[in-house]
Amino acid sequence: MGIALIAALLVLVVTALTPVASAASPAASPSTAAATAPKGTPIPVGVIPDPSAVDTSGNGKLWNGDVVEVNFSPNGSTLDPAKCAVYINGTLQKLDAPPVVQYLSPATPTLHFSLAANYQKGSYDFRVIMVTTKGVKIEKTWKYESQGQAGGGLVKWSVIKNWWKYIARGAIVTVELTVISILFASILALFGSLGRLSKKMTFKQAWDRYQSWGYMWRMVLGRIPYWIATFYTSLFRGTPLLLQIIFIYQVTPEIIKAFGLPNTLNPPAFWSGVAALSLNYGAYLTEVFRAGIQAVPKGQNEAAWAIGLSGWQTQRRIILPQAFKIVIPAVGNDFIALIKDTSLVSVITVEELLRRSQLAGAATFSFMSTLLVAAAFYWALTIFFSFWQAKLETRMARDKAREKEKGKAK
Amino acid sequence: MGTQTYAHETITDEKGRELVVKVEGLQKYFGKNHVLKGIDLEVFKGEVLVLIGPSGSGKSTFLRCLNFLEDPTIGEIRVGDVHVTCGSHGNKFKKDVHEIRMKCGMVFQEFNLFPHKDATENVTEGPILVKGEKKEEATRKAHELLTKVGLGERMDFFPSQLSGGQKQRVAIARAMAMDPVLMLFDEPTSALDPELIGEVLKVMKDLASQGMTMIVVSHEMGFSRDVADRVVYMDDGYFIEQGPPSEVFFHPKDDRTKRFLRHILPEKEPEHAKELGIVEVDQELPDPDAVEGPPQGAVGAALDEGNFKDTAIPEIPLSGGPMGETPLPPGDENL
Repeated sequence: MGIALIAALLVLVVTALTPVASAASPAASPSTAAATAPKGTPIPVGVIPDPSAVDTSGNGKLWNGDVVEVNFSPNGSTLDPAKCAVYINGTLQKLDAPPVVQYLSPATPTLHFSLAANYQKGSYDFRVIMVTTKGVKIEKTWKYESQGQAGGGLVKWSVIKNWWKYIARGAIVTVELTVISILFASILALFGSLGRLSKKMTFKQAWDRYQSWGYMWRMVLGRIPYWIATFYTSLFRGTPLLLQIIFIYQVTPEIIKAFGLPNTLNPPAFWSGVAALSLNYGAYLTEVFRAGIQAVPKGQNEAAWAIGLSGWQTQRRIILPQAFKIVIPAVGNDFIALIKDTSLVSVITVEELLRRSQLAGAATFSFMSTLLVAAAFYWALTIFFSFWQAKLETRMARDKAREKEKGKAK
Repeated sequence: MGTQTYAHETITDEKGRELVVKVEGLQKYFGKNHVLKGIDLEVFKGEVLVLIGPSGSGKSTFLRCLNFLEDPTIGEIRVGDVHVTCGSHGNKFKKDVHEIRMKCGMVFQEFNLFPHKDATENVTEGPILVKGEKKEEATRKAHELLTKVGLGERMDFFPSQLSGGQKQRVAIARAMAMDPVLMLFDEPTSALDPELIGEVLKVMKDLASQGMTMIVVSHEMGFSRDVADRVVYMDDGYFIEQGPPSEVFFHPKDDRTKRFLRHILPEKEPEHAKELGIVEVDQELPDPDAVEGPPQGAVGAALDEGNFKDTAIPEIPLSGGPMGETPLPPGDENL
């Protein structure tokens, strides 16, 4: 799906900015022109700013105001760029640099003028004089109604206006990534922390205490969760998140292939990203949860044991509810951090906020505008979630009891 | 080791009371620190036992060993008909420990109520989760118990809304909800403001009068005098002296007991201290060992009666203990 979207975008970009491929002016298309023009005469096939470009992409009638280009079919000729010139509204334009011919597409190279002036919103008559090395001279003229935009500074409001919805849909993906990942991370962290806390005594202590091989053997088995949890936190805290994301995305298909399974089983980029984020944040939250559980006073354990609760009942009914309250601020912090770290999954083509703003920037040549939109979204999201985190914290910190008392007073 | 006792075997004392607790040769190490050095104890049904002794003497540790909040290093513990050999392991051991815990109610110095549950839920937690009682039934019972400890008005209050005395009474109700055969009190009034101590002691007295078997670590002399059947003075990991309160408090035989009582009597029992001629706390202190000249007062008189010539405390061997066994290497505190 991502690939399809990129393709669609590319088409959009191409239609908007390089009329070569779009056959924007059928009258000047190579096939018809080639038939009429004699050999040795270049045939213009498209221009920038393109008067026939559609307006839907958001920059159809928008012109940067500082570049004029003509795509042409050489038709057996070679241009002499130094002799070429561009007139706007009948005035010969001064250039930043001599004109150049760019062979972006070998069949239809581009004659590129970099204007010294910068044209704002307005109606313009363009006249380009093209001169070949053999002295053949042709003219291309066109009219263009510019909406301004491009000339109007770094932040282009029309780009923002036209593209923010597209980027906003990326923000939804970002929130999805964050929420799903923090949920999985919390589950991992819960078991991870219980594993980390399952170590009660050292092997030496146990041997000194019981001198029993049977006990030692069961202790080795009982130690496995601790080892797994320790290995897990160490590994995922010790390697970069970006590496983990790329690793899962790239290596899983290799594994699937190695086992001879169909490649339809390859995980989608989104779920690869969720897996990497969950595992990474799960490792950090494991330590947070561990600290939270340890922060519950020891007397709570003892009181629960004294009335006969089993170890698991004690954890579930007595310790974890209290630990949960303690870790809320820390989990909230990690949630905020995770919102921003989801941007890393843009490298595996997940179209979240950052990736979409990059695509929009590529399409509009205005990364300033689109990245600012992304930054604004990230900032808004963190403010929004910080607000709710603070609410939740005060709610949890507030005594249930006092609540009740207030209720009674009323 | 002492005589073997077996589960299912009912042992009674001369008054025909059933044996509730039997401890034989109980020792506890914290690492290399030898805290309990061999303790033997029998408690019969309905008996109220008060443990006194200086801090660090092992009173609390002993109490916590009884329901395995501390894992005793060696010894035998029998509560009701469950008999456990300390220092063993395995499923049988775990099951027995669990049963002993169900038979022992414990009240802590710091209350240890569950802060996220209200008074009723604190009391019903055990019956519902451990005994599988229905919620309505457990709640009804909890309300009964809470009314009994004088908290009928505050059954849906959370611990943070209750005073120390009220918390401790909820804690007693919570322990009672498991229908224990034995109640353990670990300095239940030490964390309370003086004016709140009375209400907790009253509940404990009521319990005692209903025939509950209790082991209490407490320096509340008034309570001990009124309620205790037996007072045990503990020091340095041993039971030094035990007997009826009148004996231990006012006619102590061991000089360590005397010295200890001289510390606490004026504070806890000023009336009796005056009777005995002890007026101020720490009279003749800071160094009672260095006291010269004729001792004064009743306690002093007891000192004078002279089974010993000077007041220096005889050295107690730190290793071995009465059982004469080699100390075990350090054990672990957790089960």
